[in-house]
Amino acid sequence: MNPSATAVPGEFSVTLSPCQPVTVSRTRAWCYLVWLSFRRQARVRQMVAIALGLMAIAVVLTAVNTAAGRWGMQHRRWPPGQGPTYEEWLTYAGRYEAREELALVLGAGSASPSGGLVPDPVVAAWRAVLARPDVLVFSQVLFSIYVSFLLPLWCLSFATEALGGEREAGSMVWLLTRPLPRPLIYLGKFLALLPWSLGLNLGGFALVCLAAGRPGVVALRLYWPAVFWATLAFSALFYLIGSAVRWPAVVAVVYSFFLETILGNMPGYLKRVSIGFYTRCMMFDVAAGYGVRPEKPSVYLPVDGTTALLVLVGVTVALLAIGMIHFSRREYVSAA
Amino acid sequence: MPTSDRPLETLAPPAASGTNGVVVLQSRIENRKPRIPEPLLLFDRVSKWYGPVIGVNQVTLELRSGITGLVGANGAGKSTLLRLATGQLRPDLGTARVAGRDAWSAAAKRLVGYCPEVDSFYEDLSGRQFVRAMARLCGYPAAEARGRTEHALEMVGMAERADRRLRGYSKGMRQRIKLAQALVHDPPLLVLDEPLSGVDPLGRRDMVALFRRLAEQGKCLLVSSHELEELEKLTDHVAVMVRGRIAAVGTLARIRELLDGQPLSIRIDTDQPRRLAGDLIGLAEVVGVEIGSGDRLLVRARNPAQFFRSFMQLVLEEDFDIRRLETLDDSAHAVLGYLLGGRRADDTVTR
Repeated sequence: MNPSATAVPGEFSVTLSPCQPVTVSRTRAWCYLVWLSFRRQARVRQMVAIALGLMAIAVVLTAVNTAAGRWGMQHRRWPPGQGPTYEEWLTYAGRYEAREELALVLGAGSASPSGGLVPDPVVAAWRAVLARPDVLVFSQVLFSIYVSFLLPLWCLSFATEALGGEREAGSMVWLLTRPLPRPLIYLGKFLALLPWSLGLNLGGFALVCLAAGRPGVVALRLYWPAVFWATLAFSALFYLIGSAVRWPAVVAVVYSFFLETILGNMPGYLKRVSIGFYTRCMMFDVAAGYGVRPEKPSVYLPVDGTTALLVLVGVTVALLAIGMIHFSRREYVSAA
Repeated sequence: MPTSDRPLETLAPPAASGTNGVVVLQSRIENRKPRIPEPLLLFDRVSKWYGPVIGVNQVTLELRSGITGLVGANGAGKSTLLRLATGQLRPDLGTARVAGRDAWSAAAKRLVGYCPEVDSFYEDLSGRQFVRAMARLCGYPAAEARGRTEHALEMVGMAERADRRLRGYSKGMRQRIKLAQALVHDPPLLVLDEPLSGVDPLGRRDMVALFRRLAEQGKCLLVSSHELEELEKLTDHVAVMVRGRIAAVGTLARIRELLDGQPLSIRIDTDQPRRLAGDLIGLAEVVGVEIGSGDRLLVRARNPAQFFRSFMQLVLEEDFDIRRLETLDDSAHAVLGYLLGGRRADDTVTR
């Protein structure tokens, strides 16, 4: 929709005095709406404060793990939490005098082709684990914590307040009585919230990645497009929720924690209704060379990166269109 | 002037109103302002439901110029009607149009200045910033918006006090800012929902004078208020809403005449209440007499003009000492009371 195309020259000429005709412009009014809404989004609200707090915690925890060298596999233990590290296992496998100890742990082992007590495939597996790229380890943390939790939470911080906050505060009347078509009001406020939503998500993602050191820098380069498009899709969704329901933050949190988390981990095709699924698919696609893939592709059934991108773009556009239609017909009445 | 086709409604005589203030819609020639053939505000058999509850019921009303008061009890549908006029609600039946345009459309909203009852602003802005923002949202360039803002603030008496944050304003100051933002784009139609609420008496006087000036300039004002005394000072043309319907339209006096079937209540203080009561009962216009405390009588009579002639003759002939004579209900309150409360003549106790 092109706002300037709807302005009819001369139709809205208003005479102030015989010598000072002034033409009002719908385009000018709409641009000012975007600017005004952008400025007013800057007021820190409760959800944004929570999001910033979580960002700080995420960055600090990442930095602590980076300092402790936790992105590699050298410190991982088997059995988890109590056994030797993988490096120690390999060391034991090469020492004859440790074989008896190993036999107690592994049970009576059959002779391996190499003549050692520990089967070669097991040793090979331990070596493969140790050789796992740090990007892979960091990516697994990103998928589980960032994509499933932080990304939707950071999106809803601003998106639910853009229209939902106006309605809850009772100030929607000032927009609805202005001579601006309602779809343009909806579109304008969405565009105004995007810089804040993208800034919080991409900025927060960048901080977390940079705090992870080398694997984080690689992850940032690989994954920022997926984060960008996921932010747009989540923002469009939560913005629509904000315009459609009361207590939009609650509804958005319920959606994030239950629908995205539960549906996003469902086996089969059910997970394809979640935005997080397509976000991960984009990430899998670009990071395949680093060994980043679903644990069980036959169960996860990922789509390729291009399809995932098209779905995210399509979802964003569709949600925006639905929201514009809904907003243009919805009646908002403040309690007087 | 308001018009309607309800049984009790009446066409009030058209007040003098020129075409000044009618917004130029099509013409680029600054001094030629064609008369808008359509009413500035037209409700055509409008109904609006809130679920199972009907808010406005088959309302037909048209306004062209001048000041029209909209009165009614809480829940009568006044705010609903104003929201229909300002495009916040859409009628479930019928149409609401502003100068021929659907009130829901953006083009119609350009012609309407709305002062809502809701008391919610962008609290982080100052009054001046808020009014200027509303002007910018109407599409004016920055310089024009500044000029209009100052003019609107001067009109409402807030030019010197508009730089504080809105959250620190008193109720009266907030009302003035609401009015300023309604005036900033110079609309021909002003829809004002309780504009005098919270304003001090001096401020009310100033705002009433402002409303009169705006009406003299050709603007059409639709003013809803519970302050019936102030509304009477503002205009004598009212539309009375009762349970979602327009029960009456016209001047208060004309409405009162139409309600002549309803007895007029008159208080009479005299030193011989029982004797006077006995004589009054004999008058044909008297429906009932109630003897109150002390020397007070409450008389209910039809056909006020004839009653007072008969009463004065009675007083002179019988030499009654009348200390007080007061009609209790020839006011908006009383008219509403009749329309809303439906008092019956046989409710009066006669001794």
